[in-house]
Amino acid sequence: MGNVDRRRIYIKRATHISIQSPMSESWMREPRLTRESYVRSEDPQFREWLNPMESRRLSNILKRALVTAIKVKRDSGIEQPEAVITGTGLGCIENTELFLNQLCREGEELLKPTYFMQSTHNTVSSLIGINGKIHGYNSTYSHKGVSFDSALMDAIVQMRLGDINNALVTGNDEITPTYFSILKRSGYVGQEGQVPAGEASVAMMLTTDAEDTLCEIEDFKMVYRKENIGEDTLNTAGPVDAILMGLSGERSNDEAYRDIEGKLPKAPILRYKHLFGESYTASGLGVYAAAQMLKEGTVPAVMRVDGGEPIEGVRRIFVVNHSDGREYTFLTMRRAE
Amino acid sequence: MGEKIVITGAGIVSALGVGKGETAETLLAQRTGVGALQYLRTSHKEFPVGEVKLSDEEMKEMCGIAGEPTTRTSLMGILAMKEALEESGLTAESRPVLVSGTTVGGMDKSERYYLDYLENDSKNAYIRTHDCGATTELIADHFGIFTMVTSISTACSSAANAIELGANLIRSGQTEVAVVGGSECITKFHLNGFNSLMILDREQCRPFDGTRAGLNLGEGASYLVIETESSAKRRGVKIIGQLSGYGNACDAFHQTASSEDGEGAYLAMSKALRMAGLRPEDIDYVNAHGTGTPNNDASESEALKRVFGGRMPMVSSTKGLTGHTTSASGSIEATICLIALQGHFVPGNYGWKTPMESGITPVGENRTGQAMRHIMCNSFGFGGNDSSLIISEYGERG
Repeated sequence: MGNVDRRRIYIKRATHISIQSPMSESWMREPRLTRESYVRSEDPQFREWLNPMESRRLSNILKRALVTAIKVKRDSGIEQPEAVITGTGLGCIENTELFLNQLCREGEELLKPTYFMQSTHNTVSSLIGINGKIHGYNSTYSHKGVSFDSALMDAIVQMRLGDINNALVTGNDEITPTYFSILKRSGYVGQEGQVPAGEASVAMMLTTDAEDTLCEIEDFKMVYRKENIGEDTLNTAGPVDAILMGLSGERSNDEAYRDIEGKLPKAPILRYKHLFGESYTASGLGVYAAAQMLKEGTVPAVMRVDGGEPIEGVRRIFVVNHSDGREYTFLTMRRAE
Repeated sequence: MGEKIVITGAGIVSALGVGKGETAETLLAQRTGVGALQYLRTSHKEFPVGEVKLSDEEMKEMCGIAGEPTTRTSLMGILAMKEALEESGLTAESRPVLVSGTTVGGMDKSERYYLDYLENDSKNAYIRTHDCGATTELIADHFGIFTMVTSISTACSSAANAIELGANLIRSGQTEVAVVGGSECITKFHLNGFNSLMILDREQCRPFDGTRAGLNLGEGASYLVIETESSAKRRGVKIIGQLSGYGNACDAFHQTASSEDGEGAYLAMSKALRMAGLRPEDIDYVNAHGTGTPNNDASESEALKRVFGGRMPMVSSTKGLTGHTTSASGSIEATICLIALQGHFVPGNYGWKTPMESGITPVGENRTGQAMRHIMCNSFGFGGNDSSLIISEYGERG
């Protein structure tokens, strides 16, 4: 990333709540595959993680965000990260809709603050801060399909600059039945042949400390508009064992990947959205999956687009994501030495 | 901080007018842009607001936009950005990035068409303009010069945090030039939300006043062009200020209230000073967040006292003039600071009359003839997302 000191950056721990079994890597051996067009996340037993008041008061997205953050903090032994950065495409859309519904159907007279208070995008990162009394850098990105990627970029930039040594990066989106119907109308989800619309809660701890990590993040680039993808954008530090893409079965989405395939390194192509669903922060689940595959050194056969055998000894994965074929991100991840 | 980050362009649209010229005149005349509600479709006519005095149609015409779906937030953003890019002479050749802050995004349309979204296909075009990123891309595509774009949404500190990310991208060598700021229109959604929290004043707001009873919502947009000093020199453009420090911290206290001791605000201001390599007494003026709510102004006063002790610089809030422009306030007030720096004046804290108990005493009336070097600009958001910027006079050596 440019000309600053290239401090190395690692993903120490990462977890998820999604369509797959929550906070578990069982998807690598027993993946859940579904033909539904809309699948909500499988939630863990929240009461094992949250106190009764939190369980009662918080909306689903907030409970998931908090629990995944707590688990990653605990597993990585970093209770006070120097930054908490979240990506979310739609923010707390359930509460936003509840407030909108009242506003549109009942008028402006009898609105209660409850829904509004938990309706903004930054409610998630703030909650993680409030819950853990974390006073460090705290920010939230909301930019369509690169919301998580933007949060990741912010953390990487600050770590490369030496401003911080670790960061909790999260991605959170929920989707209600009504918002699914709305996004289906717009053509974003629920299309013929497309993976299910899903929800995403993913949390990962980034550190500059090489000890006991899942993988290293070698490089990250984000580019708006295809014509700005230059030769140097796609240079990786060495051979790539696999390329992970957000293929979803939706025509325009998949075409945007195929459009740039010629420019990419040659390697087997992997997908993840057939397991984790489509959502604005699905890319976070992709990064999580790549990190776990590098940790185990194995790419399960179910991830391969060509239906080939599992890839053993995987050392470097190139992760490509795009948002509406307008903005692209390129992430090089490497097995930790 | 390595190479200096300088400011070479700024554009602003708010209740004070369109452009820095009109804004400076209105500020100097202490003529408030807050008044009776005129454009927003709401039944709450009782709340004074700081609206941009243009309809969407008028703004479309000014931007040369015809049929395509737009949001009020994107229109104000385009108007403000045009001024910033023109002043800086910025073109695609510099491969700039865009970081924009907003929270309502396309909510102005969603709150009008939500039931259509649920029931029919007539307003599908606006489903895709609902989110924050869509508004940023509408603005970006109008100019077509950006090589990377992203959106920050940290409520009322969004634009300040956009400035911080842009500056970090420059410091890290990822880009030499960034266009940073935010845009936000008033919506029925957050007017009602703020009303439900009982933080709106039915009268003209009075930041830091003993009788303050809440905020007035405002709207607008502002963008700054920031770049490395060497880039500005190579491009041969005039440098109008310097971004010498910034800090972001989390109050970690409550989703919609600030802590009594202003911990988040204190930390954000302290970080900004540390980064700039300045002592508290080097700050000539603080453009406070100063919303006019009992809670914010008490908390911010406490934080200011912790940072500055007995040497309190001049402090004022300009929200009595602009209204609280929420996600855009960070860049709108940063541009006001630039105007103050260049015009050698401290804008008065419109609406202030009586001191508040254990609060700071703001600059009541304009103070002209003030040669200033360093101005601090505070933006605090719901959830305790607190940020502070330091904007300095540009000097070759300083």
